[in-house]
Amino acid sequence: MASVTLENVSRVYGAVTAVDGVDLKIRSGEFVTLLGPSGCGKTTTLRMVAGLEKNTGGRISIGDNVVSDADSNYFVPSERRRLGMVFQSYAIWPHMTVFDNVAYPLRIRRRPAAEIRERVMGALRLVEMEQYAERPSPALSGGQQQRVAIARALVFEPEVLLLDEPLSNLDARLRTQMGDEFRQLQQRLKITALYVTHDQAEAMALSDRVVVMHGGKILQVGAPEEIYQRPESRQVAAFFGTPNLLAAKVKDCRPNGGAVFKLSVEGQGWSGECHAATEMTKGADVTVMVRPENLQVCEAAKANGGLSWSGEVVQAIFRGSHRSIVVKTPAQKLNVEASSLADVGVGRTVTIAAPPEAAWAVCSE
Amino acid sequence: MTIAYNRSSGVDASTQLRGNAFTRAFSGGTLGRNIGMAVLIFILGFLTLYPLSMLLYGSLHSTPPGMAGEFNLAGYRAILTAQNLLVLVNTVGISLAKTIPSLSIAVLLAWIIARTDTPFRGTLEVLITLPFFIPPILTAMAWGMLGNPQVGVINMAWRWLTGAEEPLVNVYSYGGVIWHMCQYSIPFLFLFIVDAFRAMDPSLEESSRMCGASRWSTFRKITLVLMLPVLTSSFMLSFIRGIESFESPLFFGTPAGITVITTEIYESINHRATPDYQYATALSFAILGLMFLLVLWQWSLLRGKSFQTVTGKGFRPNVIELGPWRWVTFGFCVLFFFVTVVLPVGQLLLGSFFRFFGFYTYDMLTLEHYRAVFANSEFWRAMRNTMTLGLLGATATMVLGAIVAYVSVRTKWKGRRLIDVMAWLPWMMPGMVLGVGFLWAFAMLPGPLPIYGTIWALLLAYIALGTPVATRVMTGSYHQLSYDLEECSRVHGATWFQTMWRILVALAWPAFAVGWVLTFFGIMRELSASILLYSVGSEVLSVVLLKLWTNGNAEQVSVIGLMMMLLVILFRWVQLRVIKSRISKL
Repeated sequence: MASVTLENVSRVYGAVTAVDGVDLKIRSGEFVTLLGPSGCGKTTTLRMVAGLEKNTGGRISIGDNVVSDADSNYFVPSERRRLGMVFQSYAIWPHMTVFDNVAYPLRIRRRPAAEIRERVMGALRLVEMEQYAERPSPALSGGQQQRVAIARALVFEPEVLLLDEPLSNLDARLRTQMGDEFRQLQQRLKITALYVTHDQAEAMALSDRVVVMHGGKILQVGAPEEIYQRPESRQVAAFFGTPNLLAAKVKDCRPNGGAVFKLSVEGQGWSGECHAATEMTKGADVTVMVRPENLQVCEAAKANGGLSWSGEVVQAIFRGSHRSIVVKTPAQKLNVEASSLADVGVGRTVTIAAPPEAAWAVCSE
Repeated sequence: MTIAYNRSSGVDASTQLRGNAFTRAFSGGTLGRNIGMAVLIFILGFLTLYPLSMLLYGSLHSTPPGMAGEFNLAGYRAILTAQNLLVLVNTVGISLAKTIPSLSIAVLLAWIIARTDTPFRGTLEVLITLPFFIPPILTAMAWGMLGNPQVGVINMAWRWLTGAEEPLVNVYSYGGVIWHMCQYSIPFLFLFIVDAFRAMDPSLEESSRMCGASRWSTFRKITLVLMLPVLTSSFMLSFIRGIESFESPLFFGTPAGITVITTEIYESINHRATPDYQYATALSFAILGLMFLLVLWQWSLLRGKSFQTVTGKGFRPNVIELGPWRWVTFGFCVLFFFVTVVLPVGQLLLGSFFRFFGFYTYDMLTLEHYRAVFANSEFWRAMRNTMTLGLLGATATMVLGAIVAYVSVRTKWKGRRLIDVMAWLPWMMPGMVLGVGFLWAFAMLPGPLPIYGTIWALLLAYIALGTPVATRVMTGSYHQLSYDLEECSRVHGATWFQTMWRILVALAWPAFAVGWVLTFFGIMRELSASILLYSVGSEVLSVVLLKLWTNGNAEQVSVIGLMMMLLVILFRWVQLRVIKSRISKL
């Protein structure tokens, strides 16, 4: 397995810049996910690594080999990049059986028949599809097609595995199951994988590192927890779930060990402590992010260093695993994920609180 | 599976990645691509632009092709007569008069087949579409015999039944021309419309019913309106086909003194003391102008209206239960088949076994016509020519169409729009006009290219005439294949050529086969260009038929007609068996 390096890679279509100076290094055996809304350039980035699009700027290398360099107009076509790819539509060729589909990369490389048989069956066993080998491929369900697509992408032991939203055509339950299975397989085989998705939950569950993209640029690269708990910007914070983003002013800032700073902030009708990644000057405008699941409903005000708000419940929806509540506070409406056992109806006045480690401040743009 | 992978040294890997110059040239390299495009443009230019420009040249040239002469506007002056105004009115009027009833009947038939519980719909669909595959020259001659005012079977039966003196029908009339055109138009329109009925999302109609609309107002306000784009485009197509039509006005119009543009062109070349090429060419160019206007009109009508109803998804359409009425609809379909197929084929059978056409008594029974036809070397030569041209022509046309369609829909090469338009040009050229264009084109070729008068002249004309349909069939087929299927193959190590062969060709061949059979049928029934471009030795069956018919040899015509019918049924059967009924995917 090889690493993948993107250096200042861009793709321009006429007046539109789809990908704008992306720098990224994927280590060998690492699972990296490109995450972003549709049109953010994630698929274009993947296709440039695959050689299905030419980058108009920058350089892409796979392992030690440069595969595309826009400055010297050097371009290695897809078929010589030794990649495996799983497409969103799976691209299972309908005129072939499951076996033929998986055998295709080997037959193209003119491997001996015995070796093809052995490796195809090996790959099919990996995805638990060996009993379907002789099925005509149109007779497969979505989940089965996906397994075949993965087997086909792995069968010739590619340098890198590319996956373009491979789970988006499956129903919710199957999506989780296939995702977990694939992550196990990837870790067992130490595959270098570049994965594209717009589903944040999927990205966090599968990846070693997540690359959040927006408007053709990388906003943040980091481990899932880091991206989720400690976003670098308001945009990244807003991308995951429906966080509460509160405007506030910094009253005090001090180091809190490591690279984290502890802030005292004051917003409209509330104040308290939170954490931040960078040192903020006193009086600076910040956005404080509090995730709905980290807010707790308490009966009375118990300010213990953290943050708290009081207000009236204006909406309460029972969702089974939890209760979504909207509380109207003097600052703004706050989304809270309360326990499904909590007895909070519309019209009640409640106090909600969050510990300092659950509140994260970023610079307001 | 082990992932341990022995990689070759860095130097080796990089040479492997580069590949050799040859592969690069053909797997997307600029040089190979440019050469390929140049060859394509040259071929298409020779097939379409060249005859078109020669048409313009010829219309301004005072002498027949290949002779020295001067340039003047005499041809255009000659066509501007009051008589030609009548010809124009005839052409447009006849086409309009046949398109409107044809469309109504086709919609009715399509509705019966696609949306009702009429028994044996599968079989009925095959039977209803059969007339589309029968060369119009065959039905024309059969109806010439059936509806002859003096000795036609229909009129003889009528006189015998009623004792009347006057004939019931006379096919040599406006009515006859229109009647004959309808027999071809109805199945042609049916093929277009039936899938639109079938592919419509039933929930669109169901939601109208839920809103309180009755079945009938749902049909009027939802079904028909949704089908409007399909109906408009089939109407225009059929109307254009009507203007291009040659057989019907030739057989039923000319004897009655009814002239349309195609027969006027034909007459001015073949039936005047000295053929008036300049006049014919000028007229051809004029009709091209008319077609161009019609096509523009068609575009403006259809602009912005896509075929949303035809999604390609396999919906199960609402089937209406007709109760006892389903036998009425069944009877209607059977009647249509009886009138358009059984009657004419029966007439050919009848005609072939009696000594003289029109005298059907026991002592007149004979096999002499069969013996005469089978002993006729001209017949066998024509048979051979038709088969050769059909096989070669259909293959060449489809290969060309497949390549043009690929370049125009699957690549982003420069010039793809140009070849798309060039391949589409013959669509607005009636066979007669293209024939005249090629007459000039071949005559103007430099010496060492003696195409004129050979079988190759016909082959080139057939390829040109078939290319638009071939391109369309293949375009439709490529559109259904997702790009992923090709890209996936490239990523997994296949070169451009390997991908073409193993993925695209393998997946598109059913459409290719459908198009091939269509083109083959097209060549077999082609008369208008053949009649201008054939010469002794390169006759095709339709030309031999016309010659025999003109000489009054209706009996041998019947025999040859039956042979052709057998071929048609054989090919249609093979097509239905082997590639299923994919014809409607046109």
